[in-house]
Amino acid sequence: MSPPSPPTIDAPADWEALPLEDFRLRVRTWIEAWCPDEVRYPAGRLRWAQSREWWSRLYRRGWIAPGWPREHGGMGLSPIRQIVMLEELERHGCGRMPDQGITQVGPILLRYGTEAQRSEYLPKTLSGEAIWCQGYSEPNAGSDLASLQTSARLQGDRFVVDGSKIWTTLAMDATHMYLLARTSRGARKQQGISFLLVDMSTPGITVRPIRNIAGDEEFCQVFFDSVEIPRGNLVGRIDEGWSIAKSLLGFERLGIGSPRRPRQAFARLEQVARARGLFGDPAFLDRYTELRMDLEDLSAAYEEFVDQVRRGEPLGADVSLLKIWGTELMQRISELALLAAEDHAALAGEVALEGSSVNVLAPFYSSRPGTIYGGSNEIQRNILATTVLGLPR
Amino acid sequence: MTEPSGVDPDEGCALVARSAADYLARSDPLARARRWRDRTPGYDREAWRELASLGWPALLIPEADGGLGLGLDSMVAVVRAGAAASLPEPLTEVLAAAQALVHAPTSATRTGLLSRIVAGECIVALAVQDEAGPIDLQRIGTVAVSAGQGAWRVTGRKRFVAGGVGADGYVVHAHADHQPVLFWVPADCPGLEVLAHAQADGRFMADLVFADLVLPPDHLLASGEPALAAAWAAIDTALIGSAAELLGLSQRALDLTLDYLRTRTQFDRPIGAFQALQHRAVDLYIHQRIGESVMRQLLDALRHDPSAELRTRGASRVKARAARSARQITREAIQLHGAIGFTDDCEVGMHVRRALVLGAWLGSELEHRRRYARLAPPIVD
Ligand SMILES: Cc1cc2nc3c(=O)[nH]c(=O)nc-3n(C[C@H](O)[C@H](O)[C@H](O)COP(=O)(O)OP(=O)(O)OC[C@H]3O[C@@H](n4cnc5c(N)ncnc54)[C@H](O)[C@@H]3O)c2cc1C
Repeated sequence: MSPPSPPTIDAPADWEALPLEDFRLRVRTWIEAWCPDEVRYPAGRLRWAQSREWWSRLYRRGWIAPGWPREHGGMGLSPIRQIVMLEELERHGCGRMPDQGITQVGPILLRYGTEAQRSEYLPKTLSGEAIWCQGYSEPNAGSDLASLQTSARLQGDRFVVDGSKIWTTLAMDATHMYLLARTSRGARKQQGISFLLVDMSTPGITVRPIRNIAGDEEFCQVFFDSVEIPRGNLVGRIDEGWSIAKSLLGFERLGIGSPRRPRQAFARLEQVARARGLFGDPAFLDRYTELRMDLEDLSAAYEEFVDQVRRGEPLGADVSLLKIWGTELMQRISELALLAAEDHAALAGEVALEGSSVNVLAPFYSSRPGTIYGGSNEIQRNILATTVLGLPR
Repeated sequence: MTEPSGVDPDEGCALVARSAADYLARSDPLARARRWRDRTPGYDREAWRELASLGWPALLIPEADGGLGLGLDSMVAVVRAGAAASLPEPLTEVLAAAQALVHAPTSATRTGLLSRIVAGECIVALAVQDEAGPIDLQRIGTVAVSAGQGAWRVTGRKRFVAGGVGADGYVVHAHADHQPVLFWVPADCPGLEVLAHAQADGRFMADLVFADLVLPPDHLLASGEPALAAAWAAIDTALIGSAAELLGLSQRALDLTLDYLRTRTQFDRPIGAFQALQHRAVDLYIHQRIGESVMRQLLDALRHDPSAELRTRGASRVKARAARSARQITREAIQLHGAIGFTDDCEVGMHVRRALVLGAWLGSELEHRRRYARLAPPIVD
């Protein structure tokens, strides 16, 4: 039996032409009607098997790539409408799908890719035929990413890749990886790095899942043993991949610093506090309200950066402040949820809390990596201190 | 608290601490904890017998009852070392529940149970909570009525019984004749249902459901004031024990982190060379030291004044402090390890998860600060 097909007839020729609030309402109604329950409020990252149906409904609707231009199969939305869309997905509790092809690979190919690369990869990426993972970090290259050692030697019309990548989120579900590899050694370690695309089924690639602290297998180590990649899979110029990888960081930090994830943790805190009858306790109420205001104030700061995007201005290094505030706020919220759950906080999985069922530990675990990835918060503080405050290095 | 009679307490404590260090070094409790994770009962019964042969369950049991008759210092030393080594066996849980028996009036049941505990044949757990939140022994939840000829019929439910899955029996708080009472409930009693709940650390807590469970007369351990006193002695022992475990695991998490800061290289130097991280490490060290001081002061004070009043207030104080310190240290240990700190393979995670459980068991730091505020004398007169 084929799944019900979402209607496509109400698609206007131009989403940008709709008044913003009408646009929001159209998006909301459609999400409520078509989003499958299994992608709502997941405890961890959504695996591909769970996302597939939602992905294909969005794809058939033409909504899988809100930020891509229309001629490439996207919705051609302005940044502000992309944000509205994210907000509506969040409002409905939709979990994050393995969307790095949409958020990272697409924009990179549109900016740096060749015509051949675009026509090969963009349609597959939209349809979900190509699922991408990010191969940047290595065992000895984390914060100091530029010290990466995975090598790609050019031999005729192909690169031969050796080394390993680690912490690669959902590599076991991915069909393709975008990676950084060393093609030469320059005076600065940022030189000599190239940006490559690889099919995960290429001989010589081994994926080993790594169990995380919550007991889930979400990230992996990926080993490369004389893996041959066609020369045509090099994006941009050889040895100049570093600037490609860096080009998306500002937008990525805006994403990580959005109030979206702390707000989901806050919803969990509220659920726990209500079930525990804590709103009558003035001491609790004070801590709760402090976090609530921290969250609303994060939104105020976030919207300033969004306005900057709306005006078409590039984001400065100061966007790091959002990532710091947002990720640490999410940790503080999840800590208060643990305290609010009282004895229940000792228990794993879903626990019955006066009528409702809550996984109290899920926000705790999922709030931890935010301060580590996307440039750790320590690295963000270094950036703010030197680049923004101008303190001596 | 029990005063030792024969051996000098300091000497006894030092001896026990040495043998604990010895045993923990040779028996790889961390591997055992990983092996038994997520499968009931969460620990190794064989290993429990070995712990008993070292005298651990007997530490606080008076010599007259066949125990070692040592003080809280020795318990703190042993459970602290056990937690640092991720020992999965329910030592604090059993030591605490045994205290309820120690403080109960003399009876054949009491004597029999204590000798079985000493021998390592009986794992006993404390069941004093009807629901989440503050412990209130006056609250009427589990109720016993006469079943004729001195027997009791018990109905109700106890929750959050740590060490309760796989235990041989329970010291259960209930109400009978409008009085608080303590019963001995063997695990195989008809009418008792034991529901297992997985803890964050891969061990288990039990809910005990009593459906018209009938107990013979001699299973009533204590009633009225003596029952309350025995229950609070057990609860305070559990709190001091869990504080000691928290201090042990946070010290271990701190040591692991300091090692990592010394050896992990990024930007061509050990990350411990970055001043930002040095300051963070120092803050964790201060948390640890303050926690240790509070524990030491409490143990000293209790040696001079073993009153229930001081013990109860001190138990809340040290539990709140140790939970706070362990929270800071374990969370920062993840952060300072980077992604590897978020893996299951990394030992840090064992301590993070154990701290989650101990932080919540028998009252969070929040609850114990509240209790301390009620019990502590004003800081200025
Ligand atoms: C859940 C999760 C998913 C991830 N997914 C991916 C993925 O899909 N693809 C990918 O490529 N990578 C991924 N990563 C890896 C992530 O990008 C790295 O963890 C990150 O870059 C930090 O590197 P590291 O873990 O090696 O820590 P390290 O760099 O070793 O840092 C250890 C500690 O030292 C601190 N530190 C380092 N340098 C300095 C300094 N100069 N000053 C002050 N403090 C410093 C760090 O902040 C951290 O606290 C993921 C990580 C996590 C946790």
